[in-house]
Amino acid sequence: MGVITQEAREWADREYPTRQFEVNARDIQKYAAAIGETAAIHFDADAARAAGFRDIVAPPLFPYVIRMQAYGIVDSGTLEPDGSTSDDVPPVPTRRAMAGETSIEMGVPVIAGDVVTVEKRLMDLYEKEGRSGPLVFVDMEFTFRNQDEDLVARERFTRIYR
Amino acid sequence: MSAVGDFAVGTEVSTESRTPTAVDLFMFSAAAWLLHRIHYDLPFTTEHDGHPALLIHGPLQGMYLVQSAQRWVGPGATLKSVRYRHHAPAYLGDTLVCGGSVTNVDEAEGTVELELWVKRDDEATTTGAAVFSLPAEGS
Repeated sequence: MGVITQEAREWADREYPTRQFEVNARDIQKYAAAIGETAAIHFDADAARAAGFRDIVAPPLFPYVIRMQAYGIVDSGTLEPDGSTSDDVPPVPTRRAMAGETSIEMGVPVIAGDVVTVEKRLMDLYEKEGRSGPLVFVDMEFTFRNQDEDLVARERFTRIYR
Repeated sequence: MSAVGDFAVGTEVSTESRTPTAVDLFMFSAAAWLLHRIHYDLPFTTEHDGHPALLIHGPLQGMYLVQSAQRWVGPGATLKSVRYRHHAPAYLGDTLVCGGSVTNVDEAEGTVELELWVKRDDEATTTGAAVFSLPAEGS
């Protein structure tokens, strides 16, 4: 007997809109500061140009920030009680979210001024029996391409509800 | 600059320790627009989710894993792919140590693969792997 009902299966057939996200220097600078990066190419356009880039360069996992903002800037009243975006929460009784596995293939670097197109897909919804009850797994895939159609990153991400 | 031939399977990645503060956790939530309350709302985290303290974000630990690996392989190496998973919560106040070892060197492809971990004391909170590409010859 599972916790994934017919209603949840239908929820999993959803399609998400494609989003465009213009990357500005300040987003990159804030993220670089938040993770303790100090290299000048993340903060200073002249230093980035001297290193052969068009403008300020984002640290490698910056596409995560792009997709969080591309899909997550919503009215706070629409969020789940735990603060997560309700669009991503399946209709199942187990609602405490944990991050599962992340797998990222990196393409070209993200540069300030890039316009990145993000495609979001729900790949799979399934359940396993955990030590303290059922666990529900949601597999998502995000594909990021820049204005030149170059692949920036492809991220597979599993969220677990218990 | 390092080259692929400079790496050997089994070599250990230099360890790095990180002890994020409440300000570091807030900066990461804000910069990433990560709104999950277990990273900034202590009463919610303890009373609703039963944790003893605020949690260090999974993606922040993923970033620590990548940063320590990148510093060890050198600035001339380019990250091609990374994967990681979380095994246990990491809490505000924990000191996390990042390390790992070389698991594959492919001279034809010009890539080095590392197995990586983030540990609190001897317990892995996050484990993963990364592939970097490097120049064939040092320059």
